[in-house]
Amino acid sequence: MRTLIRFLLRSKTLFFFLFLEIFSLLLIINHNQFQRVHFLNSSNVVVGSVYRLSDKVYQYFNLTEVNESLSKENAYLRSKLSKAESEVSFYKQDTSYTGRKEIALSKNYSFITAKVIQASLIGQHNHITLDKGISDGVDIGMGVINEKGIIGIVSSASQHFSVVLPILNSVSRSHISAKVLNKSQSGALFWEGGDMRYATMDEVPLYVSIEKGDTIMTSGYSSIFPEGIMIGTVDEYSKKNDNFYSIKVLLSVDFNLLSYVSVIDYPFSEEKEELEKKVEEVTND
Amino acid sequence: MINETLKHIIYFFVLIFIQVLVLNNIRFLGFINPYLYVYFILFLPSSISKDMTLCLGFLLGLIIDIFSGTLGCNTFATVLLAYLKPIFQKAFGPREDYDIVFPSLHSFGMGRYIQYVFYLVFIHQLVFFYVETLSFAYFWRTLLSAVCCSIFTVLLIICIEEFKERR
Repeated sequence: MRTLIRFLLRSKTLFFFLFLEIFSLLLIINHNQFQRVHFLNSSNVVVGSVYRLSDKVYQYFNLTEVNESLSKENAYLRSKLSKAESEVSFYKQDTSYTGRKEIALSKNYSFITAKVIQASLIGQHNHITLDKGISDGVDIGMGVINEKGIIGIVSSASQHFSVVLPILNSVSRSHISAKVLNKSQSGALFWEGGDMRYATMDEVPLYVSIEKGDTIMTSGYSSIFPEGIMIGTVDEYSKKNDNFYSIKVLLSVDFNLLSYVSVIDYPFSEEKEELEKKVEEVTND
Repeated sequence: MINETLKHIIYFFVLIFIQVLVLNNIRFLGFINPYLYVYFILFLPSSISKDMTLCLGFLLGLIIDIFSGTLGCNTFATVLLAYLKPIFQKAFGPREDYDIVFPSLHSFGMGRYIQYVFYLVFIHQLVFFYVETLSFAYFWRTLLSAVCCSIFTVLLIICIEEFKERR
């Protein structure tokens, strides 16, 4: 007994060491499973505030790129505005039509502009922190895009900050429903890890004709992203098996140059999901 | 003594801030980042007990993890580093008997200090990257990241040590 106690006392550092290692292993495992509920990430107020402060300094370094992307977005919005104006002037002539159009418009997606205050893009667990949170209307499960294309999905949100899992996250293996422009067949887009410029698209049937340089868009089948948002272009494609292609997609978003992004708020996503769930239950029974 | 403690506390926070706000954003060639924060553990004097070193390593790793969204990975690697540090310090430290060993380029000598830093940093990086991917699926790529980041980190630490000595 005495030797045992002496042994334990002598190696207490070793036990302390093992205890700390097991604790951190538990942290790793839990973090991977319950990423959504964990508060020890950068949607935490303290961490978020520090990053916001640092961003105030950093933003001066890439003003040129920000300017450029904002002016591009301006041009895009202006072209949309002129289109909308012409439409409005048309509908003003027929007021009974306007009422219906308003209802249709109110069902549309709305956008919340947010600023990227930190982007951790080192390994497989990539994530991005935004300066908008629940109080600004951002919530878990919303899609995030910028003027170049899609970025990712909000994975956790606090009052004033939120964390986005970008498509560049091979751990969560988030799949995004995508399609080739002008083709109706959709496939699943995901990131295999490694190069941050490329993602992989699977489950595209062989009978769809694809060419290098074809545009890949969101399909709009999930309510997270509306249809027709740019993802990237086809860089290479090969037969995965007898039925499907595997496509290497050159992403249109440069993840090293993120500044302003838009969070997509689709007010009817819950309703749509509920309805789909109901149908699933019925078909399963 | 109090002066020494205060100096270490300041170093602790300064290194965390440099790591999180500057070095984590470097991403040279897309994946190479120096992990300078381990320097804090490397220069702790031998008067600090092993248990205390472990505690500091744990705290340091945890704070870095919370900031970089890799909860547990840095903590795991840094606790291991803190455990190995006294052993390597004994192996590469000065041969004369001192009461307290302050690990530095000056007290160890160039060759031995570089070895001391390189082995510890490399083990830390190796463990960190494999724990981060949680698999050996990307074996070679992970190894490459670990080697590149270690070299980067060691160079940075040696530069800082040189600078300290000149002053």
